[in-house]
Amino acid sequence: MTAKPTLGSRLVSLFTLVIAGIWLTPLIFTLLMSVRPPAEAITQGGLFFGSTITLENYVNAWNIAPWPRHYLSSIIFVVGTLVVQWVTVTMAGYAFARMKFAGRNILLILLLMQLMIPPGVLLVQNFATVRDLGLFDTHWAMMLPYWGSAFGTLLLRQTFREIPIDLEEAARIDGANWFQLMRRIYIPLALPAYVAFSLVSISSHWNEFLWPLVVTQSENVRPLTVALSRLIRTADQGSMYSLLMAGTVLVVAPLSILFILFQRRFVESFASSGIK
Amino acid sequence: MDAAVPVKNTRLRKPLLARLAPYLLIAPTFVIIFLFTLKPTVGAIHDSLFRPARLAQDPSVYVGLENYFDLFDPMHHIGGRFGRVLGNTILFGIFTVAIGVPLALMFAMLLNRRLRVMGFWRFSFVYPSLLPVIGAASIWAFIFADQVGLAAAVLRMLGWEDVNWLGNPNLVLWAIIIINVWSQTGYYMLFFLAGLQGIPRDLYEAADLDGASARQQFVYLTLPLLRRTTLFVLTIGFAFAFQTVDQLQALTDGGPGDRSNLILYFIYQNIGERRNWGYVNAMTILLAVLVLIVTVANFAFFERGGREHDR
Repeated sequence: MTAKPTLGSRLVSLFTLVIAGIWLTPLIFTLLMSVRPPAEAITQGGLFFGSTITLENYVNAWNIAPWPRHYLSSIIFVVGTLVVQWVTVTMAGYAFARMKFAGRNILLILLLMQLMIPPGVLLVQNFATVRDLGLFDTHWAMMLPYWGSAFGTLLLRQTFREIPIDLEEAARIDGANWFQLMRRIYIPLALPAYVAFSLVSISSHWNEFLWPLVVTQSENVRPLTVALSRLIRTADQGSMYSLLMAGTVLVVAPLSILFILFQRRFVESFASSGIK
Repeated sequence: MDAAVPVKNTRLRKPLLARLAPYLLIAPTFVIIFLFTLKPTVGAIHDSLFRPARLAQDPSVYVGLENYFDLFDPMHHIGGRFGRVLGNTILFGIFTVAIGVPLALMFAMLLNRRLRVMGFWRFSFVYPSLLPVIGAASIWAFIFADQVGLAAAVLRMLGWEDVNWLGNPNLVLWAIIIINVWSQTGYYMLFFLAGLQGIPRDLYEAADLDGASARQQFVYLTLPLLRRTTLFVLTIGFAFAFQTVDQLQALTDGGPGDRSNLILYFIYQNIGERRNWGYVNAMTILLAVLVLIVTVANFAFFERGGREHDR
């Protein structure tokens, strides 16, 4: 492996570099555009840099929409979804992993339905349900459909089943009740599965667009993605692409930083989930 | 309770709470599954067989499969557009997958070597799939912008004529396909990387000893061993493609002239009109069937695929 690189392997490395460069180009230009003076389109002057580097676009982008509210809304959506999911998937995951009950297999199949027909497809009917429940234009409307997760339930069921049953029996003999059982044995031993599930849940809901768009109306409730889609339309009409790129950076930065910090974890979680 | 009760029945005498426990544990999850998966599925099937009455307070009229027939009637106000939208959706799925999946395999093979700064390489390919699609759309709005965009500037610099990607009816679907390939390929690559790392090294060493060329090793060793991973990636690729909406809402509104319109966005466009309720539900069922076909295929490989990745 430490032998001198051959011509062939050098060429492959060069090729990899070229492809990575192509894939990075949109990111590089987003960053470059976001620090160009607003009036200097890339048709005037250099392709890469304007006459000076400025943070003006970020200031303007920040002032154009109530970003703190959109951030707060996205955070409420993501955290409110995840915390309830932790509880529901733990309960259902344990029941399907360790308990015998009538109708278990049929219920498992019904659970799988959620994976086979993603909630996004059922947009029209679910919109009507949310409206009938009187939840239109609330944070509840965004979160509610995700409070039961087939993926999370199946992931924890699988993980719980791999935990030796002797541990549970020993704890029961010591008089532990169900909550103690979960807190002392199941949850600590399944921690990697919880991390994987959480990363998948956070990234998919932070990035979610269509459902929040349909069930919300007011600025107070709409998350970042919906705010960004409005900015795209405004910017497109006025060719304010520097402004748009700065706005994009504001929206994508938090999760990107999280990804860079937890890269390996993210990669493993996504690879084991198959769900975005 | 009584001495007369046979011993084997004491199992049934567990306290009521213990017998109910599993149902209580799964109840919250199933309330949600019922409300947002089962009820809407049945509701969509039901509503797709009805047509709303002219007045909102009158009951809907049962029309059988007429809504479905109308969707395929070129003279109809919805059907006249639906044919193109469905065609676009299928073409979009096929091209995204046909371009994205082989690229993903190639990226995985490029990264499945001993590389320095692995984090950098992985980031370069994976970051687009982590952006909200709306963020990706926003970036590409600038790249594809008419005259002032990056693509136009580069084409002009090379001495070619620039084109209006999003305004040209023949190019717009390709523009959306490019965005999709760029944003999804890194995600598919992760599955191939996991699959490649599951292949034992000594298989390649043995093949080397037998004098197999790199090409032979790829065709007779790598590809067959990645079969399950490939099928899995293909199916999620189709399932995602069939549900593409965000780029359209941000960039094209499905236009010009429905040339970039896809089925879920078309449903969204018609959601507000009461008279189209039957059609909207019929389209939902057709979309669900499309997604179901690919995800059922997916499930056939899910268990095995999952285990492959755990290794």
